[in-house]
Amino acid sequence: MTMRMTRRSVLAGGAALLSYSMLASSALSQEARLRMLWWGSQARADRTNKVNQLFQEQNSGVAINGEFLGWSDYWPRLATQVAGRNAPDIIQMDYRYIVEYARRGALAPLNDYLGSVLKVEDFDKVQIEGGSVDGKLYGISLGANSAAMMVNTVAFEEAGIDLPTPATTWDDLARIGAEITKAGKRKGFYGIADGSGVEPLLENWLRQRGKALFTADGKIAYDANDAADWFAMWAAMREAKACVPPDIQALDQYTPETSPLSLGKAAASYAHSNQFVTYQGINKDKLALSNFPLIGNDAKGGHYRKPSMFFSVSAQTKDPELGAKYVNFFVTDPKAAEILGVERGVPESAGVREKLAPTLDELGRAMLDYVSGLGALAGDLPPPPPSGAGEAEFALRTVAEQVGFGQLDVKQGGETLVNEVTQILSRG
Amino acid sequence: MAAVQDSAVAVGAGARGRPAGQGRFAAIWTRHGAGYMFLLPWLVGFFGLTLGPAVASLYLSFTSFDLIRSPEWVGTANYVRIATADPKFAASLKVTFLYVVLSVPFKLAFALLVAILLDRGVKGLTVYRAIFYLPSLLGGSVAIAVLWRQLFAGDGLINSLLAQFGIEGPSWISHPDYSIWTLVVLSVWQFGSPMIIFLAGLRQIPTDMYEAASLDGASKFRQFYKITLPLLTPVIFFNAVVQTIEAFKAFTPAFIISGGTGGPINSTLFYTLYLYQEAFGNFRMGYASALAWILVLIIGLFTAFSFLTSRYWVHYDD
Repeated sequence: MTMRMTRRSVLAGGAALLSYSMLASSALSQEARLRMLWWGSQARADRTNKVNQLFQEQNSGVAINGEFLGWSDYWPRLATQVAGRNAPDIIQMDYRYIVEYARRGALAPLNDYLGSVLKVEDFDKVQIEGGSVDGKLYGISLGANSAAMMVNTVAFEEAGIDLPTPATTWDDLARIGAEITKAGKRKGFYGIADGSGVEPLLENWLRQRGKALFTADGKIAYDANDAADWFAMWAAMREAKACVPPDIQALDQYTPETSPLSLGKAAASYAHSNQFVTYQGINKDKLALSNFPLIGNDAKGGHYRKPSMFFSVSAQTKDPELGAKYVNFFVTDPKAAEILGVERGVPESAGVREKLAPTLDELGRAMLDYVSGLGALAGDLPPPPPSGAGEAEFALRTVAEQVGFGQLDVKQGGETLVNEVTQILSRG
Repeated sequence: MAAVQDSAVAVGAGARGRPAGQGRFAAIWTRHGAGYMFLLPWLVGFFGLTLGPAVASLYLSFTSFDLIRSPEWVGTANYVRIATADPKFAASLKVTFLYVVLSVPFKLAFALLVAILLDRGVKGLTVYRAIFYLPSLLGGSVAIAVLWRQLFAGDGLINSLLAQFGIEGPSWISHPDYSIWTLVVLSVWQFGSPMIIFLAGLRQIPTDMYEAASLDGASKFRQFYKITLPLLTPVIFFNAVVQTIEAFKAFTPAFIISGGTGGPINSTLFYTLYLYQEAFGNFRMGYASALAWILVLIIGLFTAFSFLTSRYWVHYDD
């Protein structure tokens, strides 16, 4: 359903079918066929398909069938395919789900191919470890990203306010937000999006306080006081009209298209750096990337460089070595890198990064600069989220709405959130 | 099915005296084989796509199943959790009941009103019927739900209209106090199929009754109350049962309008949406199966209750 059909693609499909049937004998004699599945936009699909073509040209006898869906359709589809013993050979995997899939035996360990088929020696060590579960490698990072604020530069300029800097604190942001709203240059326009239900933002704020979302053994790593402070900070911003009111924030389905920034309701919103291209594509005004605010002038940043997504090889595949070969091509081949750019994040291979840098456009450049320029704002990679993390994120969102709409006060909100997350994690 | 069984019995009777077994089967096959072949697509569909999965889900409801590993038998644990430790179950049930109680009566009343208006010998009746039926055909679709989302958004058409009268409307779909109403209105708007059935029912009422009543000086309202409504009760009953079941099963509009979250604050968390979240969001297929069977039970109870009470208010003209 998310496969976009245009007249051209139908024609192309028809033509492909025709040539396929004419070459049926040779197609059937293909030695190997790889199926792959990923989530993402049409732009990502175009890039990926081009790389697949390149791989097929260099490896005669290999056919790659790629398919893509939107994020929320992707996980049900993947789970059903794995359950039906019909999993794709190459699976795009997220940091959030890699532990679940690996522990349930759905992914093939790739350690045996390291050094031979997989040549990832010049990868950031931390990022390789990010794809490991219980000491085995299950995913190769396709690029690094970090959480980021997307800022509408035009709206800031209109209100006569400077863009946020790496030194901007939460107090600054609250003041800036209120000023933009007060400037009233646009109808129904506010300073910033209400981030009280945005998990990466809460995580960043917690890390600055020396806490985290989850412990390494999969328990909650903050307490009701932390959560109450968090909700209180946002309640104050709501009060001061620094951020959008709750009924506008509730429109946000945490996709680029529905964020208050893209809906034209706020001058700043929260996302991940590799989504910058998508955000800019749907926003007329020029956007900029900025880090999340600091909790105090001398605070250390709560950011980290995160594997934006992985390629994993299915445990059900007939030819794991070919799978590993494909993944290696995808992350190390210079021509592939040129096609892919930084759309899936900043490449992990130092060599690829070096060759790629001069070929990037302005957007790609901004992403590369942002992720590599985080400096002291970036800390250690937290352990992969435990099972139930998706549900916990959902709980944060619901409780944040309850506080936003005034059904709970900030203290009750803090207690409710911690109770619910604790329960969810204990269920696993 | 009954007809098929009857004729099979008839064949058995006709073939009396012949040895049972192979010959008998062959005889049935010669006479009715073609019929069964025509039934085959339905049989395959029924057993493969309805009965089979239903039995499988009953089994799964007693297991813990994450879609990836094999199901693990947990006995009644899923049902125990539903009954004792699942606030979201209660929340989703509340939303669903609210939706059923609001949408079904409004929808039926509206359908009856339009049917009566159309019954008054409007010219080009078939055209109107088609037009009024159209929303019901489109209503369950994703496109209409997306349209609805835009109509009722903060800066959507509805609020633009309200602004003409100086009223500043809230963001209907994203405020927990109003979001359910947008879904109720969407449901009422799809009044087409009960309307068509009402229309057919109205056509069955003999006109001489109305003539006699007006000769006796009964007002239009009294005629409606004393003649139309009682004679229409079987149709009302049918529509009420069907629409109640439909309302319990509603999924698409809530899924689209809330983006699959059931938000804000679970205000559009329909039962089926929660079931979907558990199954495909949290990979708890066993638990979701148990939820599904609870829904079957609830709908069954409601339908049985309707049938039991129907004898007190449904009048059959015989």
